Amino acid sequence: MSLPIELALVALFVPAAMAVLLALVPPLRRTGRPAAWLSVLAATVSLGAAVWLFADQLAHPTRDLLESVAWLPHAGASMADVGLRIDGISVGMTLVVTLVAFCVQVFSLDYMRSEPDADLGRYFAYHSFFIFSMLMLVLAPNLLQLFFGWELVGLTSYLLIGFYFKKPSAAKAAVKAFWVTKLADTGLLLALLVLYSHTGGFEWTSHPGADVATLVTLLLFVAVVGKSAQFPLHVWLPDAMEGPTPVSALLHAATMVAAGVYLIVRTDPLFAQAALTREVMVYIGSFTAIFAAVIACVQTDIKKVLAYSTCSQLGYMVAALGAGSVMGGYFHLTTHAFFKALLFLGAGSVIHAVHSNEMSDMGGLWGRMKLTGTVFLVGSISLAGMPFTAGFFSKDLILESMLESGRLLPWLALLGAAFLTAFYMGRVFFLVFLGKRSEKAEHAHEGGWEMRLPLVLLAIPALLGGYFGAHFAGMWHLDYEPEWNLQAFAPSLVPILGFVAAWSMYGRGEARPAPAMLAPIARLARSGALDHFYEGVYRVLGLKLAAAVGFFDRYIVDGLINLAGYLTLTGGQRVRRLQSGNVRDYVFVVAFAIFALSAFGMLR
Amino acid sequence: MIDRIAFGIVAAALLLSALRVVTSKNLVHSVLWLGVTLASTAVAYLLLSAPFIASIQIMLYTGGIITLMLFGVMLTRRGEDLAIPNDTSEGGRALVLSLATFGLFTGAVVMTPLPLDAPSITVDTAELGRQILGPNLMAFEVLSVLLLAVMVGAIVIARRRDASVDHTAPGLRLDTDPSSEDGSAS
Amino acid sequence: MPLAAWLILAAGLFSIGLYGVASRRGAIGILLSVELMANAVNLIFIAFGRYRGDHLGQVFTLFAVALTVAEVAIGLALVILLHRVRRSDERVDAVRELHG
Repeated sequence: MSLPIELALVALFVPAAMAVLLALVPPLRRTGRPAAWLSVLAATVSLGAAVWLFADQLAHPTRDLLESVAWLPHAGASMADVGLRIDGISVGMTLVVTLVAFCVQVFSLDYMRSEPDADLGRYFAYHSFFIFSMLMLVLAPNLLQLFFGWELVGLTSYLLIGFYFKKPSAAKAAVKAFWVTKLADTGLLLALLVLYSHTGGFEWTSHPGADVATLVTLLLFVAVVGKSAQFPLHVWLPDAMEGPTPVSALLHAATMVAAGVYLIVRTDPLFAQAALTREVMVYIGSFTAIFAAVIACVQTDIKKVLAYSTCSQLGYMVAALGAGSVMGGYFHLTTHAFFKALLFLGAGSVIHAVHSNEMSDMGGLWGRMKLTGTVFLVGSISLAGMPFTAGFFSKDLILESMLESGRLLPWLALLGAAFLTAFYMGRVFFLVFLGKRSEKAEHAHEGGWEMRLPLVLLAIPALLGGYFGAHFAGMWHLDYEPEWNLQAFAPSLVPILGFVAAWSMYGRGEARPAPAMLAPIARLARSGALDHFYEGVYRVLGLKLAAAVGFFDRYIVDGLINLAGYLTLTGGQRVRRLQSGNVRDYVFVVAFAIFALSAFGMLR
Repeated sequence: MIDRIAFGIVAAALLLSALRVVTSKNLVHSVLWLGVTLASTAVAYLLLSAPFIASIQIMLYTGGIITLMLFGVMLTRRGEDLAIPNDTSEGGRALVLSLATFGLFTGAVVMTPLPLDAPSITVDTAELGRQILGPNLMAFEVLSVLLLAVMVGAIVIARRRDASVDHTAPGLRLDTDPSSEDGSAS
Repeated sequence: MPLAAWLILAAGLFSIGLYGVASRRGAIGILLSVELMANAVNLIFIAFGRYRGDHLGQVFTLFAVALTVAEVAIGLALVILLHRVRRSDERVDAVRELHG
């Protein structure tokens, strides 16, 4: 076995083994902090393997390894394989996943300190399981294994959102996330079926013809809309903030929600054959980008702002992929993972300090929490795409490719979203770190080293990651040359304007009502109209359908069985009357039998 | 011509008396009507050139059987009624069955090619005797054994048991068996 | 006279006897009806024998008569026994030991 394969297996199975160990040995799990440290250890090993693997891949940028074993035997050959695909794309994502997961686990050591031991063990077991699931997805050589990982991360998301399962809102949020994504996952399942029926396999390198490719990619995109929280299936992501903040950072910012984008990047050969799907992606992506950005401007819960921001940024990625820019989508995915995770962890630090999610309970924290404030600022400007930050490179690339593909309206939407991104992040920063301190903020202080280390660790790629874009592009078989000219810097005016606008409204750090333009949208966002619509559809279709099926099952299927039983019983009762004990009846029966037999014999 | 008239009369007599046998409300009347039926049958035998059998019929049936039946009726009377009741029930299904059977037999007869005229025959009773004691001797002897057995059996079944001298096995004793007194079925 | 006529006559007699067997309640009534049926059968024997031209039909009938007489004797013995055991009635219905 070659080195890359070995490293990939280590990265994959060490966290898996830890998860299994913690799952099967309750006494170990219930120790709390020791179990947590074991999980962090596993994550460290996984990260180390990922780093080594990444370095190795850099040395052989165009290498493309595929190792698999036959799994489902079928008619001599194998129907599906299980294995590893090690190329630039999967290796890059592996590094991102393991790095963010490591940071989040270390952060959790302090953030979740006050949890009871048994719960803490459970939490870290889920985290180890997540690393395994996500890497199964990332390293998958075909769509079937990807589907396997996809479902597993969905499960992990459910488990972690509903970590505080005794809290009704958390339990509901977990179920909502699961249902919405599961609904979308039927698209993935159908895509697998269609692909298999047309090509006999689950490879994304096949060429089934434009029509089939369009159908398959549209179905795949349905799954992406659910998993990556695009409109209209974005409704689960804000609710998912019920989970612990580190979970939000890992799953619902950096990695799991990005799995949808990763799927599209991986199956690009198929999407390249489906122009229609790409068109759809452009419009849904850009709409989501600006739609979510608007809603983010009127949120008062810091996590919700970041959640809608994630929605919006995922929209950027989807739009970029729709415009044909794989580099744009993938690059933004990686940079976004870093600065969004950073922002969430920073928010976590603040929430931990003031024991509240609401920004009205924060304010003036700059004096007390300089480190958090600094990294939060770094994350914000990178997200906004200010010049020289990582976000700048990736966001610019997206805007450029959109413009190049000639789609003006989506480009304008993305531009508007960029403005709003800077605006709402500025709003958050000013409200949280400047201005007057609230009561709760009086006692704020930084967290322990376990919380500070990941913040610093993530701030580095969040700020500097952009410079390596060209370097890595070769690994992904893509051409990318960042241009250093005026045209490249022009779009950065937009975030600057956004920050200026935020400063003008919130510079004093006071919470002010939303600007008049946005007030109706704020109302709409809070009303949960889309949720009510979905609930209505479920009531009308789902419940009625279930009632019909239930009726069928209870009265027809069961009814047939009961009828058989009933017939047997009453038939028996009736037949019993033949045994009347009455001699004359018997005589009659004999006489009748003779008659019948004679008749039968005669008429035959 | 004559024979058709004769047939018609005999047929009418037979059927009418038979009907009276099965529908009469009085048991004694039924027995007497049976006598008429049996006598009519004897006449039918005469028409069919079987005089010996006709005489046997008169002797055994109309003489013996009817007498036997009347004995039976008288010995098993309930109470002092002179009009002995003769109940029928379930007439519906009986009617259906009998009509169906009649239909079946008639159909069979009609569908089979049967001779229209009787061949000429010489009535020879001596020949009948030779037939019985010749090829069918075995049956004849068995018959006599059977009749002996029947005689003994009838006596055994119907004899009155003397309580003080009871040779029957305990389980077979009947009129001393208390559970049979009430006559109700279990 | 066609043979068929005799046969149909006998069939009618048989059916009437069958009706009696199925509908009479008393034991003696049933015996009478059985007699009718036996009689019908004898008639068939004689009729066929006549149209065959030999004496075989009469031979059968002789034996049949003897057997029928024997059967009646036994039957009446049973009726008497029944009457003795169940004082109240001789209706065959009352014998219900085989009731299920």
